[in-house]
Amino acid sequence: MSSADSAPLLEVRDLGKRFGGLTALSGVSFSVAAGETVGIMGANGAGKTTLFSLVAGNARPSAGTIAFAGGRIDGLSPDRICRLGIARTFQIVKPFPGLTVLENLRTAAMFGRAGLHDRREADAAAMAVLEEVGMAALASAPAATLTLAGQKRLEVARAIATGARLVLLDEVMAGLTATEVGQMLDTLRRVRDARGLTLIVIEHVMQALMKLCARIVVLHHGERIAEGTPEAIGNDPRVLSVYFGTAA
Amino acid sequence: MSAVPVPAPATRAWAVAGLLGAAALAALPFFANPYLVATGLTLLMWLALTQSWCLLSKLTGYVSLGHVVFYGLGAYLVVVTWQSWPLPLAIAAAGALAALFAALIGLPVLRVRGPYFVILTFGIAELVKYSILAAEAASGTASRILFGAPDLIVIYFAMFALAAAATLLLVVVGRSRFGHGLRSLRENEEAAETLGVPVVRYKLLAFVLSAAIPGMVGAVMALRSTYFVVGQVFDPMISVTAIAMALLGGGDDTRGPILGTLFLFIVSEVLWIRAPLAYMLILGAVLAGFVLVAPGGILGFLDGRRARGAGGA
Amino acid sequence: MSSIVDTLLSGQLLFAALVTGSLYALVALGLNLVYGTLRMLNVAHGDVVMLGAYGAYWAFSVGGISPIVAAPAVAALGALAGLAVHRGLVRRLFATAGAGSTRLEGNSLLLFFGLSIILQNAAALAFTPNARGLAYWTEVYHLGNVAMTGNRIAALVIAGATCIAVAALLGRSLLGLSMRAVIEKREAATIVGIDVDRVQAISFALGFATAALAGALVSMLEQISPFTGFPFTIAAFIVIILGGLGNLFAGLGAALLLGALETYGVALTSANMRSVLLYGAFVAALLLFPKGLFARRARAA
Repeated sequence: MSSADSAPLLEVRDLGKRFGGLTALSGVSFSVAAGETVGIMGANGAGKTTLFSLVAGNARPSAGTIAFAGGRIDGLSPDRICRLGIARTFQIVKPFPGLTVLENLRTAAMFGRAGLHDRREADAAAMAVLEEVGMAALASAPAATLTLAGQKRLEVARAIATGARLVLLDEVMAGLTATEVGQMLDTLRRVRDARGLTLIVIEHVMQALMKLCARIVVLHHGERIAEGTPEAIGNDPRVLSVYFGTAA
Repeated sequence: MSAVPVPAPATRAWAVAGLLGAAALAALPFFANPYLVATGLTLLMWLALTQSWCLLSKLTGYVSLGHVVFYGLGAYLVVVTWQSWPLPLAIAAAGALAALFAALIGLPVLRVRGPYFVILTFGIAELVKYSILAAEAASGTASRILFGAPDLIVIYFAMFALAAAATLLLVVVGRSRFGHGLRSLRENEEAAETLGVPVVRYKLLAFVLSAAIPGMVGAVMALRSTYFVVGQVFDPMISVTAIAMALLGGGDDTRGPILGTLFLFIVSEVLWIRAPLAYMLILGAVLAGFVLVAPGGILGFLDGRRARGAGGA
Repeated sequence: MSSIVDTLLSGQLLFAALVTGSLYALVALGLNLVYGTLRMLNVAHGDVVMLGAYGAYWAFSVGGISPIVAAPAVAALGALAGLAVHRGLVRRLFATAGAGSTRLEGNSLLLFFGLSIILQNAAALAFTPNARGLAYWTEVYHLGNVAMTGNRIAALVIAGATCIAVAALLGRSLLGLSMRAVIEKREAATIVGIDVDRVQAISFALGFATAALAGALVSMLEQISPFTGFPFTIAAFIVIILGGLGNLFAGLGAALLLGALETYGVALTSANMRSVLLYGAFVAALLLFPKGLFARRARAA
């Protein structure tokens, strides 16, 4: 492997975030190589979504640095970061309710890294993504009329349509039935492999997280307490003590 | 590969109707009496004001209740430079002044969201009005009388050009990538920004673009009155009327403002001379009523009927 | 320079500032209750003041009843109007709020603006647009070298006492506690067993009553017209934005500050500056607090 391949795509160093008196993140460091799928695990309030907000630019770090493809991105605006190649989904979905599904993706294709200024090109690229995620039939439906599962899928499709290299998925399985989880898992794997995406996944649905990710980072009270393969994490004493009390 | 869905062919019909209407308005001064021409002038004025309001408020969702401030600034510039600047220069400068004002206040003002933006824009328009009134009172300028204004026909065609420009601007922006970015930030600003839309820049640009034409409209309308009153050119009811027309029409493209303007204009022409207070009362009722009962306006109502007629799906 | 200092130290102006401030505090109190309940910017609030003023005016010119005596009756009528509006309008608003609620919130201001226009022009049709004044209790009393007319003293006392009474009600009584709870977090209030609908109706009634009362007091002090109400709406919003929603004592302070700004500002410049100062303060308050009122409340969690 050449040295260019081994340079991390995303590098987070000593990242910290304070909201007034509350410390949401502190001293978090990890890196993600191109093509990897890394999971972020932790109880509610562990700082997972805050981490995504910092990487995507929705908030500024209080401390630490974030580098993407070799360049510093902490402090940049979210739209700038998106054009550089990072897209995220929101835990509470934020569709464009008055626009159709296709129009939702058109925004991503026009303004994301793909940067397709021409409407027809953008729409064609958007349709391609809708095909990949199995939503092509809903292209003309107003986003507001979708079910929760549909809106979650839309959220993912939109992030992908930006043409991003790194996609941050924030609890995309939450609220889905077992069947829907399976479908989403299939879709994510398919799209990831077809487009060579790098994924960072926040999930509470453990089986999905374990199946999707090669490596998992565990956060607790804003700090990284463990990192490793799903098996290693499952046996890590620190993780077990946090989730189950003292090891059995 | 699924085909990209195509928009309804009804847009052709609208375009044809619009062009016919424009042709009729262009021909009006050649066969109608001065009273009708003056009426047509007023209609063109409202078209220009409502279209330019929609450019900001319908596309971005930032509802401005201070649209009149651009109109007033433009009118004031013409009056202040009366007989010392050539009129075409003054009118162009009026547009530039309004746009400059928007550019200066835009960044802090557009940070304010929702209903607060609405009352803030109202407050700014009133602040400008009262500031000019206080300045005029302090400098001892009681009133201004303007002599030597151009003919009605010249004014008419100037306004026609402005109305055409406002319509064209809304059409072009509405179909552009810029317009799509605006609509996206209207639907969800945080999501739009996260998807790459430069929301701060876009909002400001929409704000500035929406200011230029009202500035020139105010300038041209100043030529109509020989006796200039500051309070009149900054009258908040001008903002309210434009909003009512846009709300009545519905939608977020040019069809809405045209429909709404025509409709309300007919009502106003009937009532304004006989019963101005009753007219304003109806204006208020239109505003309140449509927000409560039919926020989609006429277009929303028509779209709803078409969807139900097609049997859904 | 010395004349500026003289102006600032003038007891006369201080009295005027207190009177104006107390009226603003009273109107803002009412708006606090209505807005806090409704969560929509009721820009028609000042028009209730206007209607109260006309009520007292007619009581005086037709029945010879002093505005001070008429004030409680006007306030009671205001309360009834508040209940009626709550029943008729607000319930309907919350019913439609489910569907497309964000659109309604954004447009709700237009709704109330439309209502304000209707009220103002209906009043103009009924009472003519011309300004009217009544002269009542204009005897001058002296405290040191400060000259105060009886009507102003009465207005200050009544407005002040009402503000304190309502603040006490909100701060000390169980009803007041439930009203504050509903203003703070409606959903949570339901969960703890508060009859939100009843509390909202009472808030509305009280909000309208205080506005009408303020109007009755205003009728003694200035000329009134159908368009007199709007500046009070603006002033009330400034007070709430600066003082914070639901925070009555801060609101009182903000109201007095605004009264002082207006009074001293006009004295130092000219009468023409009154509206400039008012709207200037309004724009500044909104720009300084772009998230409006909610960001200013202490965040619970």
